[in-house]
Amino acid sequence: MNKKDSPYFHAIQILEDNCTGCTACVRVCPTEAIRVRDRKADIDPYRCVDCGNCMDVCEFHAIIPSSDPLDIINNYKYKVVIISSSFFGQFTEDVSYAAAKQAVLQLGFDEVAEEAMVTDFMISIIRDYIRENRDKRPILGSNCPAVVRLIQVKYPSLLPNLLHQEAPMSILTRYLRDKIAREHNLKDEEIGIFLIVPCVAHVTAVHQPEGAYKHLQDGAFSTGMIYGRVREILKDIQNHPVDIDTYPQGLTWALSGVQADLVDTDDIRALSVNGVENVMDILSKIEDHYLDQYDYVVLRTCTNGCVGGCLNVENPFVAMSRIKKMSKEGTNNEIHVEELQELYDQGEFTVSPLAPRPIMELDKDIKKAIQKMKKINEFLTMLPGLNCSACGSPTCYALAEDIVLGKASIDDCLVLRRGNPDGDDDK
Amino acid sequence: MRVSAVVRFREMPEYCYVAEGFEDAVRQFEEHAPLAEVKTEFAIPEKDFNTAGKGSSELKNLLKRLGVDSVVLRRIAVASYEAEINVAAHSKGGIMYGTVYDDLIHVRFEDEGPGIANIEQAMTPGFSTADDLVRELGFGAGLGLPNIKKNSDAMRLVSVAGGRTKLEFLIYFAGRFE
Repeated sequence: MNKKDSPYFHAIQILEDNCTGCTACVRVCPTEAIRVRDRKADIDPYRCVDCGNCMDVCEFHAIIPSSDPLDIINNYKYKVVIISSSFFGQFTEDVSYAAAKQAVLQLGFDEVAEEAMVTDFMISIIRDYIRENRDKRPILGSNCPAVVRLIQVKYPSLLPNLLHQEAPMSILTRYLRDKIAREHNLKDEEIGIFLIVPCVAHVTAVHQPEGAYKHLQDGAFSTGMIYGRVREILKDIQNHPVDIDTYPQGLTWALSGVQADLVDTDDIRALSVNGVENVMDILSKIEDHYLDQYDYVVLRTCTNGCVGGCLNVENPFVAMSRIKKMSKEGTNNEIHVEELQELYDQGEFTVSPLAPRPIMELDKDIKKAIQKMKKINEFLTMLPGLNCSACGSPTCYALAEDIVLGKASIDDCLVLRRGNPDGDDDK
Repeated sequence: MRVSAVVRFREMPEYCYVAEGFEDAVRQFEEHAPLAEVKTEFAIPEKDFNTAGKGSSELKNLLKRLGVDSVVLRRIAVASYEAEINVAAHSKGGIMYGTVYDDLIHVRFEDEGPGIANIEQAMTPGFSTADDLVRELGFGAGLGLPNIKKNSDAMRLVSVAGGRTKLEFLIYFAGRFE
């Protein structure tokens, strides 16, 4: 687990001083990426998919998100922020959508844009892709970066099924970069484009985009951090009328189920899934060809979709209800898609084929892998089968695997040691 | 395939299939099957559709750990899932045995009856004897056995009406187009 050699960026940090070694994180990790050794949690960067489960469950503030500090915007001459659609569900109902958006602009940006502006256009891209790739069923939505990484790690056979087109915020980034450079006569490096994101997976995706052909965003800010600062500004602007474009219909993109309903049509049948356990169950069934009747599956690892992201401040159900209300009460400002269409026609939104990050294999050589599996089964019969995680591995099976792979010892099992007090306790 | 351990299945009607190009490999395996290092066993309770599918799912995870090619892995997953559901839907319960060799997997299903009256008919796509409960749950389209055959390199089904059924198949890790 040598992090220095890992090619993978992660937006999750462990504060060792706060970690008590309680193993709560070990038990909730969907890819079994965490071990507690010497009473400290350690994340395997090859296995981690940035889902944020470990952060949510940690009671000791020992696993924390990392996102960019706001002052990095000062490194750029022209500063643009793109707000992800779950953001406006975070505010209490006395704060208007327009006021919150105006407050974000006043944090020091020259321009503010929203994911919600391009979601309609995205639907047409998705439908095109599904119709052009009839040989692959189902197509899997690639908006959730944690899902993309989960597929790379645990379901690599499904990589060809991923929608190989950029997500809405990246499409918008591509479009704005060209437009601003042209209109303001600026060089690419003078333009800073930043995202306000609801989860650590999106921070990771900004710093290490999968399959991106071109330079995209320059940083990602946590919804929680921006929320705190925006509230300060809101005090001043809340009582004044604000004139800013809004796109309330597009905000529902953050909610699980909405994208699938929008894509679903006469010749396209879509399914929507949220929550990491459900996502894994569905991916396994897709692997078994049991969901071939679907043309498109939207998967998101957080509860209710992006409103459930770990960097949000509001409960996912409350945020969902607020967004639905906003969407019902307002109408979108008009959006000119001609330039987006032009970029799309030039293939500018295409994503390169994604490579697997296989973690499951015991050995590259199948014969050696079989020998290791045999040894794992032998150790498994010696272990108590309580799956208590006290050793620091998530299950007895995982400990047996760790022992065979040289990452743990049978002496790590506390239950065995208790039953054998004369054992080699002071090794 | 080896018949030594299945004396009580002797004289029963059977259906055998070996995919083109695998005749020699299968004969070799039947005559000199090496000692297997990794074996799995899962119980399949009668009409328990909450549990049915778990065995093939665990088998799939095991094969992922062995690094079996993803295309081959999906064939094994489909064939074993179909067979597991068949046992749950049509029999009084049974057992799934997975045996892993260096170059192939042998999966065997043995159930407690009531057997298949007409094997030829059971192998016909679209033919099904599934009852209403099974159909309500979305199974019983009559594609199970043909689908297992389609995904296997060799398959054998032995059964008699009123008796037990045994289904086994071989899938080679090297894949089909080499």
